[in-house]
Amino acid sequence: MSGMNYKNPGRNRGQGRDVAVTDPLGNNTEIGRKLKQYYDELVTPDIPDRFNDLLKELEKHEQPQTVTEE
Amino acid sequence: MTEPQSFRDGLLASVPTLRAFAVSLSKNADRADDLVQETLVKAWDKQASFQPGTNLKAWLFTILRNEFYSQMRKRRREVEDSDGAITARLSVHPAQDGSSDLNDFRKALELLPEDQREAIILIGASGFSYEEAAEICGCAVGTIKSRVSRARNRLQDILGISGEGDFGPDPATSQITTTIVA
Repeated sequence: MSGMNYKNPGRNRGQGRDVAVTDPLGNNTEIGRKLKQYYDELVTPDIPDRFNDLLKELEKHEQPQTVTEE
Repeated sequence: MTEPQSFRDGLLASVPTLRAFAVSLSKNADRADDLVQETLVKAWDKQASFQPGTNLKAWLFTILRNEFYSQMRKRRREVEDSDGAITARLSVHPAQDGSSDLNDFRKALELLPEDQREAIILIGASGFSYEEAAEICGCAVGTIKSRVSRARNRLQDILGISGEGDFGPDPATSQITTTIVA
């Protein structure tokens, strides 16, 4: 449980000297960049109506504070 | 005292990132939206158990992830099929197709086992800390670290990227190599 090998063992790039450990998925790595590019493309800002409608619906059925059965 | 309005706004604001996570888990846009819907319903029902001021996004991701795995178990039971066949059928790429470079990456990502894929997404794309990711996945921090590391190595292999930080060879040359570095 001690975070002793936070850094990928056997790969000493000598960059972050102390606390600043080289981020293996940082923007200076190809995998890191592609991962973010892939994900950013999936995060579309517009929210489909179905979710808006759903939340409105849920709010209408707002239940009292008491916790009901599962 | 909870304020339904702000909780609701929080849920709504989380939809885009929940959808992204759902697509990367399920590899299927339609199924992803069903997952998000289910997540919102569950979150609404459980809102009393959410502690305001704590990380709503992490809480929602946990719900979504649990929902994904429980649906998957259900499906596995329903369809007595090989995992591979199920995965192949469910695998639908989102309509937007970016560069072929990105497509290669997406395909490579889909080749990863679920636990590795979710770990590398949570850490490398969704912006969670290792601690948060461990909580979301209900496992130890060390487990997340090793999954991320295996995922990264595997992706580098598949995509023919020689080492971290390198600008790999032309993506067109990337081919699926199943060299597993133990």
